[in-house]
Amino acid sequence: MEPIIEVEGLTVKRGPTEALSNASFMIERGDYVGVVGPNGGGKTTLVLALLGLLPRESGSIRIMGQDIDTFDQWEKVGYVSQFAIDFDAQFPLTVRELVGLGRVNRKNMGRFRNKEDWSAVSDALELMNISDLANKRIGALSGGQRQRAFVAKSLVSDPQLLVLDEPVTGFDPVTQERFFMQLANLNNKKGLTILIISHDLAAVFCRMSRVLCVNKEVHSAAITETTVPDEILKKGYGEHFHFAFHRHHCQGVFVDERL
Amino acid sequence: MFNYQFIQMALVGGSLAAIVSAWIGLFLILRKESMLVDGVAHTAFGGVAIGLLLGFDPMLGAMAVSAAAVLGITYMRRKGLAQSDSAIAVMMAMGFSMGMIIISLANGFNVDLMSYLFGSILTVNRTDVTVLAVLGLFIIGFMVFFYKEMLAITFDEDGARLQGIPVQVMTLAFNLLVAITIALSIKVIGIILVVALMVLPGLTALQLRRSFKATLIASTLFGVMAATLGIVLSVLFSVSTSGVIVFTAAGIFLFVAAYQRLA
Repeated sequence: MEPIIEVEGLTVKRGPTEALSNASFMIERGDYVGVVGPNGGGKTTLVLALLGLLPRESGSIRIMGQDIDTFDQWEKVGYVSQFAIDFDAQFPLTVRELVGLGRVNRKNMGRFRNKEDWSAVSDALELMNISDLANKRIGALSGGQRQRAFVAKSLVSDPQLLVLDEPVTGFDPVTQERFFMQLANLNNKKGLTILIISHDLAAVFCRMSRVLCVNKEVHSAAITETTVPDEILKKGYGEHFHFAFHRHHCQGVFVDERL
Repeated sequence: MFNYQFIQMALVGGSLAAIVSAWIGLFLILRKESMLVDGVAHTAFGGVAIGLLLGFDPMLGAMAVSAAAVLGITYMRRKGLAQSDSAIAVMMAMGFSMGMIIISLANGFNVDLMSYLFGSILTVNRTDVTVLAVLGLFIIGFMVFFYKEMLAITFDEDGARLQGIPVQVMTLAFNLLVAITIALSIKVIGIILVVALMVLPGLTALQLRRSFKATLIASTLFGVMAATLGIVLSVLFSVSTSGVIVFTAAGIFLFVAAYQRLA
């Protein structure tokens, strides 16, 4: 498989302390990756470094085969930050306008958006099943609807890699399951590589193909039928940690036939 | 009344200043930088005083000092020298005190200076209107041309940076437009009240809870409405024009806010 992210010896400092130390791993095209680890372990730091939003102390990052320092295809990377939860609810923006912002990049600066752009916006709204919310203000949406709107924004430029930072915080189990199923659909049908920070370990081991366990160090493992989550998670959460997980639990998750 | 040339000039000049102020003002409100206007406008007082002292157009002085103030505030914030409000306070105090020193050195400019502090829209001439129109068109042109980029930066700066938009350069350009807008609006409404012309129309439009585009259009209409109604009412009742413009804008704001809550 073709690597989409290659990290070698990555060290990142937040202030005087090392937040990530000598991390090396690879993510292949089409992977559905869960980033887990304790609070303050460096998950968001890792994601921000991968997106070039934090400076590196040492090490290298290659995105789609290109060194991050010279990488210029950011329209191929979609990112949903925690801002999707924290934004100013009074901001006068409709869902369509928000998703339309996903078509803004360095290459089309100063150009008016054309029919093709707005058609891509309609497609992204449809893909995330929120066409009926297009003219609603984003401040008036529920948590789940907001996340889907922000994912639609990040999908509108037809990215190859989608990165999400704790997108299901505060969701009820049904909304969370629906959201994860939509992401799984995007992964299966469009071959989209997805990297998602989540504290829901069951969802990660049931739905995803790779796990990155982050606690200053990064431990990467493929998730297969024979994967024992405990062995991976103890490296991040500590030897005392035990995650009672059995694969048949995955059969009991919420399923909505409408999705 | 509308046959008088000074009224016609005032209405055209006031409307132009109101349109530009409303556009720039809405972005400032959403960036939570409304008080930047007040700080920079007071700093511009120093520039007006320099212009009067050295005998060149005080508006040029106001524009230059406003631009320097905006750049100074941005620099102080970026380098962590001061928080946003402290940086504005420092610049405001420096600019205003510079003006006071110059006035005392020149033994006062009395009437001239008062017209810049409180505005003198009824004295604008054809040249003033032409300058307003040219600079106003330039500002609106920039905002139309870079509408989607400015909206992206205003909504989510980090997200915009990731999308490859040169946030720092765009923010610098926007801040310089803020400085020019403030200098333009001083002639209409004066240093003391310029913040009202830039903030009240946008704040009123936000009460409508519409899309961004609709809010921007509504903000512009409310600004023009306040300026034209204010000028007409002030002439009819022979009271301070800038005061009436601000009171009209505040009245429209209160009416719309109340209507939205009661309707």
